[in-house]
Amino acid sequence: MKYVFAVSQAAFALALAPLVVGFVRWLKARMQNRRSAPPWQPYFELKKLFGKEAVVSENASWLFRAAPYVVFVSTVAVALLVPFLFVAEPFDTVGDLLAVVYLLLLGTFFLALAGLDPGTPFGGMGASREMTVAAIAEPTIAVAIFSVALGAGSTNLGRIVAQTLANPANAISPGHLLAFAALFIVALAETGRLPVDNPATHLELTMIHEAMILEYSGRYLALIEWAAALKLTIFLSLLANLFVPWGVATTIAPLSLSVAAVALLIKFGFLALVIAVVETRVAKLRLFRVPELLGVSFVLALLAVTSSFLLR
Amino acid sequence: MTSALFSQLTTLGSSVVLLFGIVLLCRRSLHAYVEAFRWQSLVLSALVIVVGRFGNAPDLYFVGVVFLAIKGIFIPRYLERLAKSVGAESESQPYVNITSSLVIAALLVLSAYVVMRPLVLATQLPTRGGMPLALGLIFVGLFVLISRKKALTQIVGFLVLENGIALLAVLGTFGIPLIVEMGVFLDLLMGFLVMQVFVYHIHGTFESIDVEQLNQLRH
Repeated sequence: MKYVFAVSQAAFALALAPLVVGFVRWLKARMQNRRSAPPWQPYFELKKLFGKEAVVSENASWLFRAAPYVVFVSTVAVALLVPFLFVAEPFDTVGDLLAVVYLLLLGTFFLALAGLDPGTPFGGMGASREMTVAAIAEPTIAVAIFSVALGAGSTNLGRIVAQTLANPANAISPGHLLAFAALFIVALAETGRLPVDNPATHLELTMIHEAMILEYSGRYLALIEWAAALKLTIFLSLLANLFVPWGVATTIAPLSLSVAAVALLIKFGFLALVIAVVETRVAKLRLFRVPELLGVSFVLALLAVTSSFLLR
Repeated sequence: MTSALFSQLTTLGSSVVLLFGIVLLCRRSLHAYVEAFRWQSLVLSALVIVVGRFGNAPDLYFVGVVFLAIKGIFIPRYLERLAKSVGAESESQPYVNITSSLVIAALLVLSAYVVMRPLVLATQLPTRGGMPLALGLIFVGLFVLISRKKALTQIVGFLVLENGIALLAVLGTFGIPLIVEMGVFLDLLMGFLVMQVFVYHIHGTFESIDVEQLNQLRH
């Protein structure tokens, strides 16, 4: 029975993901005085892509066809481990935050391979850039979540949430705050948002994520887009639930679950607003300055670990 | 309960203050330097008032307000004006590049934690959590002072170093006597004004505020 709930939680996240992306786009358009497609537009886009024929380059190998499935499945596997609405216990024995970090990296790795595979210059460029960003971003995620894990005494995401709920004073400790800032910067980088990559454009010389998936079409593209949306949702819920865990249900009951759903939507709305403001205000960084930004977030994460380790 | 809240608030405030010191290291334009310093001083003066409230030291209210007036408003505004009049050059090529500066800053803060550890373990002050952060800020300020090339960014480094000392003093002693505090403020103000005159002269002679040029003979 518990497994059913845990799986349905991940399914909920999967269903919500396109709406999150659409909502960020909608807010951003509003802020820039543009008229926007409705927030649920990404659902139509996914439906359209799934109905289309997939065109694959003659030079592409099996890797090119397999990569979208790997990316999608690894992201869904992460969604099973992350607490969205309630603290999921059943999969705690399967994986903790280390599994989360490396499953996300697995998806990134296969996407980069798939970018290299058809041999187009854009794909190779995107793959090399993505690896540069990932090489600095992944340790930062691990270190940032570690600092929170140190406070809770466990690397289980569910346990961390429960511990912070039990000791609310932990939530404003400097370790938490610094780790939040670090994870926020990394979340922008990992999900291809503005200071690092521009999600609103194809065919720009400096693109990263879009360059890798340029060769994809049809259902492959749909899977990758959906996985990217789910990745954004996962990062937002890590930010929302690890650092501000109020509202997350600890017991599975209709009332607490609906409270959790409302709380989650409010937190997502707030984070989406922050992302939209950031994307409206800042310009894209030049590529060689991206490591500086990620360096800041790594230093923040390191300080977070230091302060939660030494101030215990 | 109030002492737990007090220690949380001071640690939080100190880490925000340190955060602005580190943000400094990854910026280039003089405007961003001044802006980071302004926010740092605002948070610091709020922190001074918090310490005054919880630590039963009412004269800290006064210190906090003077702090706000001098470091939060007066000096940043003057720095902006100075930057405008010498045609602000940005810190494009510091002695240590930005990524390495960030790593060095992290190491400096780590070493501050190590140095302060015996003191933090020995003391029972509720503010002890913030003291390593204050020492870290002193180190970071010193690092800005020696690793940046422009006279104006070096001034900001000095001011950040001073902020670190003030933070450590407030956290460690709940306010040194008011007369000493005023003396420090006056010193700082005089120092700042003298440095400002220097900047004008450097700019007048070399048509640049890059201190690297100071070791070349001119005229």
